[in-house]
Amino acid sequence: MSRRAPVITGSGIICAAGCGVAAVWESVRANRSGLGPLTLFSSPRFANHLVGQVHENVDELAGNIRGSRSDKLAWIAAREALAAAGLESGLGIINPARIGVMLGATVGGMLGTEQFLAALLRENKHRFGPLRFHECAGAADLCAKQIGALGPVATLSTACSAGAMAILAAAELIEQGEADIVLAGAGDSLSRLTLNGFGSLLLLDPNGCRPFDARRTGISLGEGAAMLVIEAEEAALARGAKILARITGWGASCDAFHATAPQPDGRGALAAMWRALKRGGLQPAEIDFVSTHGTATPDNDAMEARALKKLFGDRVPPFASVKRFFGHTLAASGAIKAVLAVQSLREQAVPGTPGFEVADEKLGLEPVKELRAQPVAHILSNSFGFGGNNVALVFERADLSCRSRREAAHFKAGSSQSLLASAATERGFAVLGIGAVSAAGNSLSEIAAAFRNGGVATSAFAVPAVSPTAQAKVYACGDFGAEQFIEPAKRRKLSRLQQMALVAARKSFSSELAQKVALEKICVAVGTGLGSLNDTAAFVENMILKDERSPRPSFFTSSVHNSLASQIAIELNCSGLNSTLIQREISFETALWQGANELASGRAEIAFVGAADELNQYQLAAGMRWGWWRGCDAPSQKVAATPSSQANQSQSSLVSAGTGDEASPAPSATRASQLLSPGEGATVITLGRPENAASPLAYVSAIRIGRSENQNTEAEARWIAQTLKRDGINAGEVDLLLTGANGLTKIDNFYRDVAAAVSRRAGRNIACGAYKHACGEHHSASAFGFLTAVGLVRGDIAPELCTMENTALPGKCRTVVLFTFSPAGTKGMCCLRA
Amino acid sequence: MESLIEELKTKIITGFHLEGVTPADINPDEPIFGTGLELDSIDALELVAILESDYGIVITERSVADKAFASLRALAEFVAANRT
Repeated sequence: MSRRAPVITGSGIICAAGCGVAAVWESVRANRSGLGPLTLFSSPRFANHLVGQVHENVDELAGNIRGSRSDKLAWIAAREALAAAGLESGLGIINPARIGVMLGATVGGMLGTEQFLAALLRENKHRFGPLRFHECAGAADLCAKQIGALGPVATLSTACSAGAMAILAAAELIEQGEADIVLAGAGDSLSRLTLNGFGSLLLLDPNGCRPFDARRTGISLGEGAAMLVIEAEEAALARGAKILARITGWGASCDAFHATAPQPDGRGALAAMWRALKRGGLQPAEIDFVSTHGTATPDNDAMEARALKKLFGDRVPPFASVKRFFGHTLAASGAIKAVLAVQSLREQAVPGTPGFEVADEKLGLEPVKELRAQPVAHILSNSFGFGGNNVALVFERADLSCRSRREAAHFKAGSSQSLLASAATERGFAVLGIGAVSAAGNSLSEIAAAFRNGGVATSAFAVPAVSPTAQAKVYACGDFGAEQFIEPAKRRKLSRLQQMALVAARKSFSSELAQKVALEKICVAVGTGLGSLNDTAAFVENMILKDERSPRPSFFTSSVHNSLASQIAIELNCSGLNSTLIQREISFETALWQGANELASGRAEIAFVGAADELNQYQLAAGMRWGWWRGCDAPSQKVAATPSSQANQSQSSLVSAGTGDEASPAPSATRASQLLSPGEGATVITLGRPENAASPLAYVSAIRIGRSENQNTEAEARWIAQTLKRDGINAGEVDLLLTGANGLTKIDNFYRDVAAAVSRRAGRNIACGAYKHACGEHHSASAFGFLTAVGLVRGDIAPELCTMENTALPGKCRTVVLFTFSPAGTKGMCCLRA
Repeated sequence: MESLIEELKTKIITGFHLEGVTPADINPDEPIFGTGLELDSIDALELVAILESDYGIVITERSVADKAFASLRALAEFVAANRT
């Protein structure tokens, strides 16, 4: 296998310190802070706080792009990065299947969702429009569409390290041969939720942050986006692109300590930095500058200084925090620092630390105060997120030849050799355990029984947002035994969705296994479409109804998407890579893909992968308003009175696209009667390397994520067959294609046609299957589909219970392909075998 | 003061959903956080929110909270002095 060096050929940025790399670097040169008053929205509580608000008109700059403010910020930065890489005229010369998009996001369209809730709660107005752009997946979908990327697309949501995590994932994609060019970065807008949330944690400094200063009291919140074009070196050289800098090292770790506070001794941060150096083949002495996370909270800076002293001893290199230039831009933070690192390497100058004046004797370290010229060959950049999600990246001057480059072997552009493929030879990764919380039951045997008994009954879910009597029919999880798996003292602090995910994780995990594996060799990757919606809503409701008085910190910490994965890590003590991924219907597939990559690389021996989403009345209200859900009450007069212009904009945002008209009565799965009813659930799978497994439940291989420009069944069949072949599986072995069919005729027919097209390639009839009649429609449903596939290949679930009408019925079911397609264009697959 | 202490005990037990804990279990002279009640820093911040909504006391700095939460008695004195 060839090692391919990831290089940076373009960068773009927008933040309070300026729009464009040149403008921001000018601010850095002048040591000029871009913090100022908040004018984006009114905030009774924080009106006097300095924030890093983007000064330009974002809507105007974004042009005709439709999306949230976060999405637009991301696209503005992406456009600049692509132009800088010489790709402004499009990426036509590159095979689109070899182009990926890896973005970080944590705020998404929250700003618009707050407007929706304010109108609803204060004026009883139903303005659902902004909810279309609520999801954090929006920016990645938007950017992928704009550039025509057909390779892997994923959104990493590890809070304040998300941007760095996205760059890490991009570097992995390049090095492992899954893509030749990746757009990577992050964008987050300001929002009332984050402002009030950090306020509720007493982590805001109203007068502007003072990183590493003895008087520091907290962060300044900011907004912005930054993007990199990352390419395989040989691909960049082949097209004559200028290499701006290199990414030579990257490392991730998890504190597994606390929801918001860092491990005080800095061991998690140290592990991430150490892994990044090791990956780059570098010694600490080779680092010339450290771009710290440096948020200016008392805890972060103390912890980070401790970690730096542990790593570098008494020779800590020059370091700085750039947070006062533009505020803490959350997910975008790591990406902005990456763009500045590239600039430092090009200019041979390192930024200062505006806001720092008085040295903190307790730290024993002082940052660089103002920009200074110095030779810089390697920059270490730290990003730490809530839940102890740490990422460290090492950037290298373009003309240096790092170890990974020296090791680079023969490279052919478009080579489909992938590390996942080589690791998945023979049988694939071992499925060592499965835990579930679902409407159909909370174990594989309960769920198999539910399938046998003809499916699952729906229940009524009150939707007062529509009217006092409105109800939706839903597939809701019943009592899932949280008190049996989580101690009361811990349980009371967890959101319902966190409890669901944690119970699923505990059920999938055998303590016997845990004793065999070092904790840093256990990684956690959890997908979620929408996160802990009910706690998020509770925080925003409280904020609106009480006019920002007494914001509730526990609701805020639960609203952070990666609290799902980090709580699992805290409870089960997993200190390997910890990641939360968001990509609408393929959220689970992106998590499976990242977890499998950790296994394939050998960094992890055990990977918890899964997905979790919960029902929430606002999401249901929007779906009812837009005619998505069958079996729901007709919208009330009040809702129907909403202007029809909004009704016409009811394209896919929260879930699958479609209108009530399309939802024809014919159920597609044999046992399905109310397919389109919304659902919820959590599924966590324990994966291991096959050599470590004595008697696994099943084997999974052919793990892949990608994107399609339009729904072309032949192209999908080719993609599926190619992926199977990559892992040594003949399409003719497949007995069933298990799909995300959901009752919408258009979607069900598409899946059926894909199965027919795969059948033609395989030369045998392959049945088309469905599982959503047992779990309902939700963004994490395909994780339940994975469990169903395991049940099928083990013989726990009879194939006829999951086979759609008008397709072949398999006699046996030993090989099942799970295929999920999102109306946004992204797709994911894997293959389960007994 | 004693009645305020009892009132605060009830608020802590109900506000934090402390199952199986009675007011008698809470020693007013012990630190509220980091002891037998298994309350952590997020709970301390939740208590900040409770003080604001129930007594109109706005805390924006952690040092103020740390001092007020030294014990339940200290908290009662803080509330008595600052309530609006």
